[in-house]
Amino acid sequence: MKQKKFSGINLEVFSETLDNGLKIYVVPMNDKHNIHATFSTNFGSIINEFIPIGENKMARVPDGVAHFLEHKLFEQKDGIDPFTFFSDNGADANANTTYFKTTYLFSGLKSFKENLNYLLNYVQEPYFTDENVEKEKGIIDQERSMYQDDPIWRMYEGSLYNLINNHPIKYPIIGTKKSIYDITKEDLYKCYNTFYHPSNMFVVVTGNVDPIETINIIKENQAQKKFPAKPKIEVKKYKEDRNVAVKKQEIEMDINISKVALSYKICIDNLKNYSLYEIYNYILYYFNIKIGQTSLIAEQLKKDNLIYDDFGFEINDIENYLLINIFAETHDPNKVVNILKKEVNNKLIIEEEFERKKKCSISLLLASGDNLYRINNKIMDNIIKYDDIIYDDYERIKNLNYKDLNNIIDNISFDEYSIFIINPKKKDAQ
Amino acid sequence: MNYTNYNMGPFNLHVIKNDHFKTVKVKVNFKSKLVKDEITIRNLLRLILINGTKKYPSERLLSIESENLYDLGYSSVGIISGNFSILSFELSFLNPKYTDDVSLNDYIDFLCEILFNPNIHGKKFDTESFDLVKEKLKNTIESEVENPRKYALNRLLEEMDKKANYSFKPDGYLSDLEKITEHDLYKAYEKMLNRDIVDIFVIGDVQASDIKNIFNQKFLINTIKKPVDTHFIEHKKFRVRPKTIKEKRDISQSKLYIGFKCDNLSLFEKQYVSNIYSFILGGGPDSKLFKSVREKNSLCYYVSSSFKSVSNLLIITSGIDKNDYRKAVNLIKKEVKNMSNGDFDDNDIKKAVITYINSLEASLDSPSSIISSYVSNEYLGFDLMDERIKKIETVTKDMIINFSKKIHLDTIFLLEGGDMNETEEI
Repeated sequence: MKQKKFSGINLEVFSETLDNGLKIYVVPMNDKHNIHATFSTNFGSIINEFIPIGENKMARVPDGVAHFLEHKLFEQKDGIDPFTFFSDNGADANANTTYFKTTYLFSGLKSFKENLNYLLNYVQEPYFTDENVEKEKGIIDQERSMYQDDPIWRMYEGSLYNLINNHPIKYPIIGTKKSIYDITKEDLYKCYNTFYHPSNMFVVVTGNVDPIETINIIKENQAQKKFPAKPKIEVKKYKEDRNVAVKKQEIEMDINISKVALSYKICIDNLKNYSLYEIYNYILYYFNIKIGQTSLIAEQLKKDNLIYDDFGFEINDIENYLLINIFAETHDPNKVVNILKKEVNNKLIIEEEFERKKKCSISLLLASGDNLYRINNKIMDNIIKYDDIIYDDYERIKNLNYKDLNNIIDNISFDEYSIFIINPKKKDAQ
Repeated sequence: MNYTNYNMGPFNLHVIKNDHFKTVKVKVNFKSKLVKDEITIRNLLRLILINGTKKYPSERLLSIESENLYDLGYSSVGIISGNFSILSFELSFLNPKYTDDVSLNDYIDFLCEILFNPNIHGKKFDTESFDLVKEKLKNTIESEVENPRKYALNRLLEEMDKKANYSFKPDGYLSDLEKITEHDLYKAYEKMLNRDIVDIFVIGDVQASDIKNIFNQKFLINTIKKPVDTHFIEHKKFRVRPKTIKEKRDISQSKLYIGFKCDNLSLFEKQYVSNIYSFILGGGPDSKLFKSVREKNSLCYYVSSSFKSVSNLLIITSGIDKNDYRKAVNLIKKEVKNMSNGDFDDNDIKKAVITYINSLEASLDSPSSIISSYVSNEYLGFDLMDERIKKIETVTKDMIINFSKKIHLDTIFLLEGGDMNETEEI
């Protein structure tokens, strides 16, 4: 067992990798009144082609299979619904699927040992039948419809679709209507057997727990189960071109005010001297300074009634690209895009602003120790993105400097971008 | 955790000392009797106050100052709470212990700058700021209909009783917005300072006496307090036959909302029995509705019920295919009927109680939730946490059945979407 402190926040991580490969991370937070436990696999929607365990050829599975699998793990052979089990103990249970991982979780202070064992057990005991797979399709299709009605969600997925040529982040996590209805019991087992081996999974527990006891519960649980030898997982590699797939797309929805996304595809091949952590953070700072709440450009756009409060950006990373999506609600999408583009390309940064943003990051880091969900999420994100926990955020943030920021920005290009516009549908006279 | 309540004359100060948090949260509530025509102007007011001050005359400059104060968070919201309108101003910041160069005084100065030193010229708000927030609010109101769920809920409430406070739009109305001038807004500001009932809540690792001294020095208002009416809305008319309304909309999923009015509930029922009832019926993935409408019949992804204690309403909602409308409504009605027939067991109650207690305990980790519990104690006379944990255990099956007899189906609203075989779009 390893024991290591986070810098800046007064918390310690107890970690261990079991013989079967399962990784465990526990952060005791003894002044809290709750426990949050997550059990995740490195299997999200972006894996759609791989060599299934025991086979030797690449197999393509329908899009949305990771999310479908998440739904179906709640089906148990004994007929007991995991939600019922957790609810009996007053715990909150849930699960979610992202592009990069699938996570099963509960939170609740009481009956912790029982709950933790159950979390491991239901995820490790799949029970898929033709009938229960069929039954889920209507439910998932309703979930898909719900997202289809959300303009922001449509814009987000539409932007990724247009930025990307080959990489599966191009496609919605939930899949399409057709791909959902194409999924079979066999697809689910194929994915499950390959990606739900303990060596491809990790448990993170944060909150009011005894770390040694927690690790022992998991150890004992796993010792009672037999797993095949650690598989070698082979996933299709995609070579993603620098250029965007579609430069501009406009659609219509039943809305009143247009929405626009300006999305950048930034190749980071030129930045070999920097770690992903540094690149990611510097680019985040850059956009924050250029177009964030305290930027002159945001102020001007608001004064000109071109944008309102629904304005912001987010960042994703795949292989050697960072993907930035800037969203705005506006009556003049093209004008907003032109102004933003010009500002993003003007690489001048004021040092004072950079230092102020650093101060904000430090403050956010210190406050994060109050929140057991935030600490749990931080660990999961770190593992997915960096394959390890980052313990020294405090020093890393302190070490970020103006010179490197400029150097990084000078060595990337904002030439590859895509524009996604949602216009109000022309209404019939009513 | 230690609670101190100071009557400061013009305002009440509630300090919750809690050494578990590295942050401090301050919430200032201005409360006044709800008047429909004033909803819009009060919203505009809370927006303009956080959009800039005399010293920091733009949103950007105010925001820069907040970042200098170690990323202090500030916001304002306007809500309708039964018979009242409440404007809340919130501040959340790192405890000065963890900073090198700021003190509690600096943070409270920031709050006072927002509330007491607005960007006004004479008896008018600054025109540029005024135009800006007016556009902002206009945009918020116009985009309200874009969220089909929010829109459908609003329509349901209107159909239930368009004269009732609970059906008023919390953001306000375009027709009112157009008429407001810089001077009107200033008058509304004066009225808020002079007439509203003011409560201030502070939570964090702070000394109550320090907080008291700071507010005593800096929070210079002089409101006249008046006896307070109840927040609760009581229903007088109940429909014999429920009203059904369908409206078409170009969306892919139909949104179903069903509203019930509750009759003559006791404070105990509002706080406890309603909670257990709604949890068993539609409180989560283990509820009667979820099991029936989603799991057994695959008709939806979400279905849930929620009880609105202040307006005495129970709302059930789901997203369905329009062709399943009749089937879904019948299943929901059946589950509601089963509840009043006592078709649930002690184990259902037991787990609702454990869940209630667990989430109450977990809320001790969240400064906002702790403040909320003191707010509902102050405004609604609801019990505080310790008391709640004891009382929830006393809810019995008979109480729940008795409660279910006081619920009257009023209106079924369907925002009807298209057919599900729409073309695939990304």
